[in-house]
Amino acid sequence: MDDHSPPPSRHLVMGFGDAANLPEADELPTESMPLNMGPSHPAMHGTVRMVLEVEGEKIRTVDVQIGYLHRCFEKEAENATWTQIFPYTDRLNYVSPMLCNVGYALAVEKLLGIDNKIPERAQFIRVIVGEISRITDHLTCLGASAMELAAFTVFFYLMKAREWLWELLEEVSGARLTHSYVRIGGVVADLTDDFCPKLRDVLRRCRGAISDADKLLTGNRIFRDRMDGIGIITREDAIGWGLTGPVGRSAGLAYDVRKDHPYLVYDRFDFDVPVGSKGDNFDRYAVRLEEMRQSMRILEQAMDRLPAGPVLIDDARVALPPKREVYNTIESMIAHFKLTMDGIVVPPGEIYSFTEGGNGELGFYIVSDGTGRPCKCRVRPPCFANTAVLNKILPGLFIADIVPTFGMINMIGGECDR
Amino acid sequence: MAGDTQGLPAPPARVKIVIDGQTHEVPAGVTILDACQRVGVKVPFFCWHPGLSAPAVCRQCLVEIKGFSKPIPSCYTLVADKMEISTNSPKVVDVRRQMLEFTLLNHPIDCPICDKAGECMLQKHYFDWDARLARNDGSKLRKAKVVDLGRHIVLDQERCILCSRCIRVCNEVARQPDLVMAFRGDRQLLTTAPGQRLDNPYSLNTVDVCPVGALTAKDFRFSMRAWELWATPSVCPGCATGCNIEIHAAHNVIRRLVPRPNPAVNKYWMCDEGRMTYKRVHHNRLVAPMVVGAPTSWDAALGEAARLLGSVRDKTPSTLGVVLSAQTTNETLFAFSRLSSEGLRTDRVYLAGEGEGSADDILVSADKNPNTTGTKLIGGPTLGTAADLKQDLETGVVTALLVVGAVGVVDRFASLPTLVVLDSHQGPMVSAARVALPLAMWAEVDGSFTNRQGKVQRLRAALAPAGQSRPGWEIADQLGRALGATRRYANAKQVFSEACEKVTLMSGADWGNPEIPVQLRFANSRG
Repeated sequence: MDDHSPPPSRHLVMGFGDAANLPEADELPTESMPLNMGPSHPAMHGTVRMVLEVEGEKIRTVDVQIGYLHRCFEKEAENATWTQIFPYTDRLNYVSPMLCNVGYALAVEKLLGIDNKIPERAQFIRVIVGEISRITDHLTCLGASAMELAAFTVFFYLMKAREWLWELLEEVSGARLTHSYVRIGGVVADLTDDFCPKLRDVLRRCRGAISDADKLLTGNRIFRDRMDGIGIITREDAIGWGLTGPVGRSAGLAYDVRKDHPYLVYDRFDFDVPVGSKGDNFDRYAVRLEEMRQSMRILEQAMDRLPAGPVLIDDARVALPPKREVYNTIESMIAHFKLTMDGIVVPPGEIYSFTEGGNGELGFYIVSDGTGRPCKCRVRPPCFANTAVLNKILPGLFIADIVPTFGMINMIGGECDR
Repeated sequence: MAGDTQGLPAPPARVKIVIDGQTHEVPAGVTILDACQRVGVKVPFFCWHPGLSAPAVCRQCLVEIKGFSKPIPSCYTLVADKMEISTNSPKVVDVRRQMLEFTLLNHPIDCPICDKAGECMLQKHYFDWDARLARNDGSKLRKAKVVDLGRHIVLDQERCILCSRCIRVCNEVARQPDLVMAFRGDRQLLTTAPGQRLDNPYSLNTVDVCPVGALTAKDFRFSMRAWELWATPSVCPGCATGCNIEIHAAHNVIRRLVPRPNPAVNKYWMCDEGRMTYKRVHHNRLVAPMVVGAPTSWDAALGEAARLLGSVRDKTPSTLGVVLSAQTTNETLFAFSRLSSEGLRTDRVYLAGEGEGSADDILVSADKNPNTTGTKLIGGPTLGTAADLKQDLETGVVTALLVVGAVGVVDRFASLPTLVVLDSHQGPMVSAARVALPLAMWAEVDGSFTNRQGKVQRLRAALAPAGQSRPGWEIADQLGRALGATRRYANAKQVFSEACEKVTLMSGADWGNPEIPVQLRFANSRG
């Protein structure tokens, strides 16, 4: 009987597609209205402001205004020794500080010409803490975005997993979030004795949490309606706007610095770079989900092959000597003093060094004038380019679409605004 | 035999040498070290100093010369034509490290408590040229840690690296051989002869030249870490010599004065007395304008001063005198000489200042005023002397005075019906004055002094003026306005430029470029 046939649309929520298909006459006549969203808006994370021009619920134009978290990173860096800059890099992408630590250290090491002298164990440790950070970065992005779409359970599951990982990073670095664990020439301390068994256990539990989230979200009608086909970025746009990381890859741009310009020991690991096909919010979600699994693969391989040895370069001009030497010999005392007060002497020159950060290509352009402090220390934050594309993809969507779209761009104020 | 040399060709004025594979032309007769410095090749040294003789005792500047089997001290050896020098061969690098290793063998682990840390040559050379961990862990030789050498100096014999720079400063600069070496080998130490003290008037130069923290100044010791200090180039106000100095200050307090090299004036040195002149900057200052002994506002004080001086000017202008102190800057003097001739319409201008003191033929002048020459140039031929002032006060020709800066003659001031003074310090002159205006001191202003040679030398402000005190030229301008003139100057440089135009003998003087004080931390360890 026709009486029991399903309604014309199977959608429980009216999504973009439905609204677009409405006949022109069914729309209420409306006037355009300016609307201010953020910075004090939960979905804007307190760090960005969008000035919208809306017609009813529909966005006509959008002006994304950044800079609310500007901390003069580049200017501060000019007055700090090369080592003192690490705490500042922690605060760039504050959900994956280790990746920023590593990216900065690699740039300075290249300029010093010691990038091929970093102990192998230190390079493996950098990969391990970096990939843990990548997972925490994606967990934060997915958890928070799910919560903003009302999936609060997923938020709790993923935050719990993030906390397990951060506890491990706290164990090696002493700080839960602002690790400052990497040093020029290696890392500050070796992994704790039972770090690897603990990490394996955490990864097992994380897999469960991620799988739970996957089950709760991927097939979820509400979630899919908010994500599918929203905020589409083409591959051409991704190249044109300089989009990298999960955002660029979701648009089909298979660019991953770890694969295309391998650094540290990434060329020794077997991992895949997931790529999307449509470039919509759902693709960005799916790419991140898969990247976490690939990071876990890298982690397991790195733990299996972790070599023994020192974790810091043996060069008194770069690395602080051991404390026992500092307190008992004048040579190390002087080296400690000079490194602390004057800083590492980096030969004059300039370099651009880039790594795969949580959100894409994280670049450091540094210029040295031969003193212990940078003459210039510029960051190429991946989010900066990624956030810029919002101006292009938001017009035409509904106000409610800003929340998942902005969430999946994953603009991190600390990194974008510096 | 002497006649034979006349047949030989004259030695060339310049010679061609090869340093590290690069050919350079340098003047004949310079040392290898000098030649290296001229062409920008770095060679480390401890005992050599540009202002002293070269005994080649530290062996840190050894270089290799082709044809010589042993490394040669570059500070001592003169260049010769076609000499091939190597400053970075493996042998030289190794020898350099070995010398540093010897020097550090018995050096105490004192950096955290050492005054020299941060500007220490040993730290710098070790880090630049060695930077290897210690290879021995034997116990170090102990020597005396605190030897009271003299009025200003404390010696730590353990830190001494026996470079003998301080001995040469005493012998060659102060010409008073106070310091000697005693004992031999690793027991060698720096000391004075029994019963002797290091008490020559240039003793603090030994602290400057000491490459390590062995000699420390009692005055500066433990008061401030060197890297926290901000350095401002200036000129010593102690006497007419005008030694070039650096003011080292932090948190608006001067911690020490050190000489700044100027071959035409003070070479690398200054006297101990000059170094202590900074104490007056922070002692017993006049910090607020006073009218009849009570602090008041600038506006009220300037108004009262203008009323007093203006009424004398209008009624009995011939009784009004202006006293310029040779302690003040050219800018203050010029602004007040303009005020006296145009604003106050008097030509009774007198030169006064501190009295004569001891002198020597090294640096110290008997004239204890830094700017007597400048005052005379700006005051012109009609400038009266201190004796003239005394006479005019005694005979009652002058009954009203405007006194600019500290002067020695104050005994007759108290009886004057009209006395307006600008002074930086509390004292009898301020007590006697009807109106006293606080004057900023030399370390607090931009300006210039003209020294006994007639050199116009720049002062740069290292501190904010104490309390409400203001630079003299600014007070002259404000007083002029209170007397009805228009504003003339916005900054000291304008006064200076006008002075250079109007005062013939100042015409070649240069204000120089602005120099921002630099924190010694950022001076990249000058060592």
